[in-house]
Amino acid sequence: MKAWFATFVVLAVCVAFTGLLAVTVWDIAQTPALVQLPAMVAEKLSESGVKNPVTAVLLNFRSYDTLLEIGVLVIAAMTGISMARTPTLEDPELRTSNELLFALQRWFVPLMLMVAGYLLWAGSDRPGGAFQAGAVLAAAGVLMRLGARPMNFLRPGILLRLGLVLGFAVFLVVALASAFAGEAFLDYPEGWTKVLIVTIEAVLTLSIGMVLLALFVAGPVNEYGEEDDPV
Amino acid sequence: MTTWLMAGLLFTPLAWAAITLLLSFRNGRWVSWLGMLVQVLVSVGVWLLVVDRGEFYHGLGGWDAPLGIELRVDGLAIIFVLLTATVATACGWHAGMYLDSDKPWQKHFWPLFWFLWAALNSVWLSGDLFNLYVGLEVITLTAVGLVAVGGQADALRAALRYLLVALVGSMAYLLGVALVYGEFGVLSLAVVRELQAENGVGMTLPLALMLGGLAVKSALFPMHGWLPPAHGVAKSPVSGLMSGLVVKASFYIAARLWLELGHEAGSLALAQVLGVLGSAAVVWGSWLALRQKKLKQVVAYSSVAQIGYLFLLFPLTLSVSEAVSLQAQQGVTLQVVSHALAKGAMFLAAGNLILSVRSGEVDALAGVGRFLPFSLFSFGLAGVSLMGLPPSGGFAAKWLLLQASLASGQWWWALVLLAGGLLSALYVFRIYQASFVQDSDLDEFYHPPRSLELVPMILALLALGLGLVVDPMLTLLGRPFGEGSVP
Repeated sequence: MKAWFATFVVLAVCVAFTGLLAVTVWDIAQTPALVQLPAMVAEKLSESGVKNPVTAVLLNFRSYDTLLEIGVLVIAAMTGISMARTPTLEDPELRTSNELLFALQRWFVPLMLMVAGYLLWAGSDRPGGAFQAGAVLAAAGVLMRLGARPMNFLRPGILLRLGLVLGFAVFLVVALASAFAGEAFLDYPEGWTKVLIVTIEAVLTLSIGMVLLALFVAGPVNEYGEEDDPV
Repeated sequence: MTTWLMAGLLFTPLAWAAITLLLSFRNGRWVSWLGMLVQVLVSVGVWLLVVDRGEFYHGLGGWDAPLGIELRVDGLAIIFVLLTATVATACGWHAGMYLDSDKPWQKHFWPLFWFLWAALNSVWLSGDLFNLYVGLEVITLTAVGLVAVGGQADALRAALRYLLVALVGSMAYLLGVALVYGEFGVLSLAVVRELQAENGVGMTLPLALMLGGLAVKSALFPMHGWLPPAHGVAKSPVSGLMSGLVVKASFYIAARLWLELGHEAGSLALAQVLGVLGSAAVVWGSWLALRQKKLKQVVAYSSVAQIGYLFLLFPLTLSVSEAVSLQAQQGVTLQVVSHALAKGAMFLAAGNLILSVRSGEVDALAGVGRFLPFSLFSFGLAGVSLMGLPPSGGFAAKWLLLQASLASGQWWWALVLLAGGLLSALYVFRIYQASFVQDSDLDEFYHPPRSLELVPMILALLALGLGLVVDPMLTLLGRPFGEGSVP
């Protein structure tokens, strides 16, 4: 009875959200907004250093949001790792040896790495960028893990943590450096914008890939678990 | 100078997070203690800047609203920044000595702590609806992470429940933001307010959605079920951070939205519903606190009750005179500050008591009054502020709220204020009663180091003394909740 009621409530909430979402989309599509922000973005695009408006918004106009979002990924990965069951996240027992998977891997992994590189580069003037490239990179990692490739960098040592925090740290250092150059924080100096944005995107790709992969392999519960600890 | 101070609030905590992520708990502790000193200095610096220069807007990355993200630095934001610096420093200081540094997962405490601090500052300062959402997400995730660190089964269960509830709240908020963006095409709160006043667009649905989502995240009755397990199971310094600061962030955003947009978009019914739910939280939360068997659960349910008071802001600021509205805003601000200080003190003191008797049960406290009077005294002093006795900050807050409710003709809120004070006196005295029982067969008590006992005492004294510095604080508030200049 109670379970039935809970299911009903969850369903009702989901239906309500979906309905509201539909109303929202309908509402937005029907009446034009009072202020046309896309037009303003287009106007300032030449100052942003990249040609893709999405990248411009993410890494220039609203770069503080992006910095915090990267923080979210780092936090998620850290929380996941903090609960990992095994001392190494790359547990040999979990490896499979499947001929088909192995063959697929040899074809796919290089291709996926190339796609990730392309997406990263494409981000500067058309859809693409660090998040997409990082996701592809992580998918390649998942495939490699399933196919029993040893991945020693996934040991929860300093190397893993360094990889997780690299993108975030570089982003933050750029923010600091741009302030030293006399501008505001996260205000890229003239002429350097493109270089800096591409650098940030590149390290972000690595870190995002690493975060997603770490979340995939991190186990749920600690072995130390059940001791009696009243606090 | 302004740029550096703003960066000091928003970016240096992130830098501490990145550094401590690479260190062990012990080394991270030294870095963090240094960091806390820096953050306190920066917070005081920003305070002096606002006193000197008045309220101002600051565009991040050289882009102003609506294209970029703008920070609004006003008296209210500064009060919260200073409050965060105080409570977080106390909890961090305590945590450095309290947490068992031999546990391997403890190294994740400092980075999460610093991410939390950075996000809190970002929420206090941000004037951008989407940036507020991002800040809120970072806060939620770090809070979940801090509760779950260590991954014991009950902690994990509480954390997961917290995460799911908070995500539903975030979704509702985000949907509201999407509706606002669809209507106005901008995300800056100040610009939205201007456009709304000019065009008179109906915004009741988005506002109700956002407030609803934020109310879930602030554990408003009847959506409070996630709070006591999460706050109770976390380590005591973490509980202090959760109850003192984390829950306040979502309420702060709700209050900002209400005071910016509520005059046009709010309705009397919405305000009264929020007020009634807040009152129900006061009574029901206090009642449950009275019946808990575990010490930290008592404190956690007391948070549910104390947060209930905050929601009286909504009925007391809608269609009332300017003076009454100001009084209510001041009262609520004081309530937030005094509750954060008192609850921080209570959780830290409770942690010491539990450490000393090695059990979380209220009944196990028998006899502890003879051995640990100092921590028990801090607990009681914090309780004085929760009960609302003079000269505590809690008294000043309830006094202002009482006056506001009588002046606006809504006398029924006054009854809630009185009943809440009485009930909180009951649950605080219950702890005292248990701890002064003399015929205890337990003779061995662990004595925590003096420095552990000192931290909650300082917080409790601050909560108690807050009533004496109400005037200077309210002057800083000036025009609370940013009725100030337009960018």
